[in-house]
Amino acid sequence: MTDATLTRAGASGRSTAQLRKSLKRRHARERRFKLYGVLAIAIAIGFLALLLGRIIEQGHTAFWTHTVQTEVYLDPARIDPAYPEGTNFDQLVAEQQLARLGVQDDEAMSASRDMRQLMSAGVAFEMQRLVRENPEVIGDRITVTLPIGADADLYYKGELDGEGEEQFRRLNDRQILWLDQMRDQGRIQGQFNTGLFTRSDSTQPELAGVLGAVVGSALMLLVTASLALPIGVGAAIYLEEFAPKGRITDIIEVNINNLAAVPSIVYGLLGLAVFINWMHLPRSSPLVGGLVLALMALPTVIIATRSALKAVPPSIREAALAMGASRTQAVFHHVLPLAMPGVMTGSIIAMAHALGETAPLLLIGMVSFVPGVPEAVTSPSSALPVLVFIWENASERAFHERTAAAIMVLLVFMIIMNAAAIYLRRRFERRW
Amino acid sequence: MRFNLFRQLDGAESGGTAATSPLLAPPHAAHQEPTGPIKIQTRDVSVFYGDKQALFDVSVDIPDKAVTAFIGPSGCGKSSFLRCLNRMNDTIPIARVKGSIRMDGEDIYDKALDPVLLRARVGMVFQKPNPFPKSIFENVAYGPRIHGLTENKTELADRVEQSLKRAGLWAEVADRLDAAATGLSGGQQQRLVIARAIAVEPEVILMDEPCSALDPIATAKIEELMDELREEYCLVIVTHSMAQAARVSQRTAFFHMGELVEFDDTETIFQNPRDKRTLDYITGRFG
Ligand SMILES: Nc1ncnc2c1ncn2[C@@H]1O[C@H](COP(=O)(O)OP(=O)(O)OP(=O)(O)O)[C@@H](O)[C@H]1O
Ligand SMILES: [Mg+2]
Repeated sequence: MTDATLTRAGASGRSTAQLRKSLKRRHARERRFKLYGVLAIAIAIGFLALLLGRIIEQGHTAFWTHTVQTEVYLDPARIDPAYPEGTNFDQLVAEQQLARLGVQDDEAMSASRDMRQLMSAGVAFEMQRLVRENPEVIGDRITVTLPIGADADLYYKGELDGEGEEQFRRLNDRQILWLDQMRDQGRIQGQFNTGLFTRSDSTQPELAGVLGAVVGSALMLLVTASLALPIGVGAAIYLEEFAPKGRITDIIEVNINNLAAVPSIVYGLLGLAVFINWMHLPRSSPLVGGLVLALMALPTVIIATRSALKAVPPSIREAALAMGASRTQAVFHHVLPLAMPGVMTGSIIAMAHALGETAPLLLIGMVSFVPGVPEAVTSPSSALPVLVFIWENASERAFHERTAAAIMVLLVFMIIMNAAAIYLRRRFERRW
Repeated sequence: MRFNLFRQLDGAESGGTAATSPLLAPPHAAHQEPTGPIKIQTRDVSVFYGDKQALFDVSVDIPDKAVTAFIGPSGCGKSSFLRCLNRMNDTIPIARVKGSIRMDGEDIYDKALDPVLLRARVGMVFQKPNPFPKSIFENVAYGPRIHGLTENKTELADRVEQSLKRAGLWAEVADRLDAAATGLSGGQQQRLVIARAIAVEPEVILMDEPCSALDPIATAKIEELMDELREEYCLVIVTHSMAQAARVSQRTAFFHMGELVEFDDTETIFQNPRDKRTLDYITGRFG
């Protein structure tokens, strides 16, 4: 015993210097590795900040819009109370706006046309509704607050200006003068753009909103989740816990992994061929979209669930089986609850992917212009990522800020989903 | 290390000569006590993992109301054999069992016999305590619940209390039955899983190195518990501690390289082994 201690001390005495040196090297390596880690994180955060900053910078203006307050004389000579749709309210309002600015219209009515362009296409709808709901106002002089056009809106936001050749501009000198005058008269008001959330897609940017696409995406996700989650989790449980391990399960496993890597557009083609051309399900409906996304999400859900099940210590399974639990009981009483946090995380990731997926939806016709809110999973619908795609391709400048706004809505959607995932995971984990 | 242990057990200082002299004085009178009738009878039991044979033709008669200890070097097939007795080997896809195992004369590998039912009659305690990650109460209540052994909540609570009392854990956990079982100490967890096993009132309890992760005090508690349980159950334990086998068991089986070398009264095995390998093992010459 004493001998051993002595020899050890002697040996370590000789090698201490060596040990110190190697220790120094090891510490340096550790520091270097930590530095790499910090750098990697910093780069990732930098790019994320850049991306988010760009989107917010581009899109924040879309949440703001301007209205003009104006007095309108509802000339009974021009309005039929039984048929307000027959009145050209755009023209009516434009003429009276011009009058307030002291502008005389010419014979070609070019001034009122320019003025009409400054107003939103929604003016006519709002005036019609007003008159239909309150026919008694016809003949009165009333003050209304009306939406202005997208270009005028951009001008007030400082996104359009009077620079450059007039003929290449969206606003000519005369229109800019009027806009300035209206602002000087204190009739222009800025306000939160509720329309962005209460309206659906429109050809007019100032009338376009995300509601239809949000509802479409939600319906689609509902279809996807109600198919992909039970089927995926069930398949994973069977494969992991019940299926005899062998050649066939190996082949299935490889194929599932392959399917997870198949480009999403291929699923779109499959959906087009099977669900639309063969099963004749309604084109551009959340049902078909959800089915396609469910197919796409399945492998992810299966893989995530399997690895969550694999991570459950085998001792738990043994404990349950040794207590006389049947295999099913062991799985559903003990293994699955423990795997649940992992299952949830994987499922939510799969759903978030599905939510942001665009390519397969383009193939099944969801790219078409859908101005309304889908009422059922079978009615034509749009989806948020597709809306982003459509708006980004639109020519009007005003759509571009809306594109960024739609992306923000999509991101908020995903943040909510991820937050729900974390919350659910906590809840499941609290049950040990 | 091993010599120290024996010296201590022997109460003698003559460690050097221990190898040839009778090693262990009977620790207490337990060895003289008669055992019950034969509970489990195995004949020519072989276990294969894939193509590899891990156990060769083991035939033993395990008595009721006694502790039977399996000893032997690591990898000799003790656990494999133990797992045959409640058909836990069924859960290993590559494992195959040959031969006959009868419990109370009934073939437990009979096709008509449900292993789930068998495992309700043959409880098992593992080397590493493996409580369910649920509350203490839920752990003990699980068996009675799945087997429908109790009529109502009070009966269940009663049974949980009785089981915990029998496992000597009640005093320590009575006020926190709803606490997480995983928050107990290793020794407490091991007694909890014993309580969980006896809650279904099995006939046989298998314990695979139940004390190998425990400190001496916790070990002593479990050994005390085994001694008590012996009154009613057929206990089969695997242990690496010769001292433990000597202290708690009435019969001892020595395994070596997948073979049953010797099976006899514990006293005989430790004082007068027939086989040279047994002697070598218990004197610490190999293993
Ligand atoms: N699941 C398994 N798959 C393949 N081989 C196994 C398996 N379990 C055990 N074996 C093999 O069977 C032999 C006996 O193992 P067993 O676990 O029964 O030994 P043991 O006596 O319990 O050992 P220890 O004292 O270390 O627990 C070993 O050679 C082991 O490698
Ligand atoms: Mg073992």
